Amino acid sequence: MSLLKRYLPAAVRISLGAVFIYAALPKIADPAAFAGSVAAYRILPYFGSYLAAAVLPFLELICGMLLVCRWRVKTAALIIAAMNLLFIAALASAIARGLDIDCGCFRQGGAKTSPWLALGRDVLFLAMTALVLRFEKKDATTAAP
Amino acid sequence: MARVEVIMLKNSWLGTAAEAVVIVAISTVLGLSWNRTLLTGAWKGEPTQQVEVAQQGAVLPMPIGLAQVKELSDAGQALLVDARSSASYAEEHIAGALTLPLEEARGKSASLRGRFPAGATIIAYCNGFSCHDSMELGKLLIQAGYSSVYVFEGGLPEWRDAGHPVAKGGK
Repeated sequence: MSLLKRYLPAAVRISLGAVFIYAALPKIADPAAFAGSVAAYRILPYFGSYLAAAVLPFLELICGMLLVCRWRVKTAALIIAAMNLLFIAALASAIARGLDIDCGCFRQGGAKTSPWLALGRDVLFLAMTALVLRFEKKDATTAAP
Repeated sequence: MARVEVIMLKNSWLGTAAEAVVIVAISTVLGLSWNRTLLTGAWKGEPTQQVEVAQQGAVLPMPIGLAQVKELSDAGQALLVDARSSASYAEEHIAGALTLPLEEARGKSASLRGRFPAGATIIAYCNGFSCHDSMELGKLLIQAGYSSVYVFEGGLPEWRDAGHPVAKGGK
C-alpha cells in the first residue's frame, strides 16, 4: 500500500507525459495529414486547420516532456487540462453534428478511432491531469516550511 | 498572516500564468518555424505537399493551386473531376465538377479513355490535406491517355473556405 502511495504520483505523471509525447510525434512528422484531421471537424477555416496542426503538436510535446522531467509540472498539467477540454468540446461537437470522422488523436490515417472512444479517452486523461495537479499540490504543501 | 497567504497565492497563480504564456509562445514559434514551408503554401493557396513528387516523373499529375483552378474553371478551360465517393459528391461538391469516384475508375480503367474529350485539361480533387484519392485518380487518367492532368490538393475544403461556389446533389 505504501509502495503504491509512493510511486503512484510519479507513475500517473510520467504516463500522462508519455501519452502526450507519443501523440505529438506522428503529428509533427506529418503535419498535412494532421491538418486534414483538424479540418474534418469543420470548426476552423482552411488556413486555421494548418495553423492548429502546426502549433498544437509542439504544445503537446513540450508539456509532455515537462511532465516526464518533472519541471514546471503545475503549468504543464494546466495546459494539458485546457487542451483536453478543447479536444472534448471538439469531439462532442462532432458527435452532435453526426460527423463520421477519425479523431486524429494519435497516428494519422489508418484505422478510424470513433469520436465516442476518443471522448472517453480524453475524459480519462483529464482525470489523470487532475490527479497530477492534486499530487503536486500535496507535495508543495508537505515541502513548505 | 492571512494577507501574506493571499498575496503568495496570487503570486503563485500569476507565476503559473506567466509560465503558461511562455510555454505556449515557445510552442508557437517552434511550430511556425518547423512548418513554415507548409504554412506559406497553405496561405498562398499553393500546393503544399506533392510538388517534389509530382516533378519526379511525367507519369504523375502536376499539382495546381486554388487561384489557377478558379481561373481555369471560370474560363471553362478545365474539367473538374471529384474523386470522392458518389455519396460525398451528392452531399457537396465544387459547382460544375463531374463525379468519378476513385473506386469506380479503378474498376473500369479501360472505359476512362472515352469519358472526357481527348485533349481536355482535367483537374482532380478530393477532400484536400492528406486525401490521396485525387492523385491516384490523376495517375489513372494519365495512364488512360490524358496528357493534361492536374491535382488540386486543397480540394473541396480549400475551395469552400475561399467562398467559391459549391453544389449539392447530382450523380
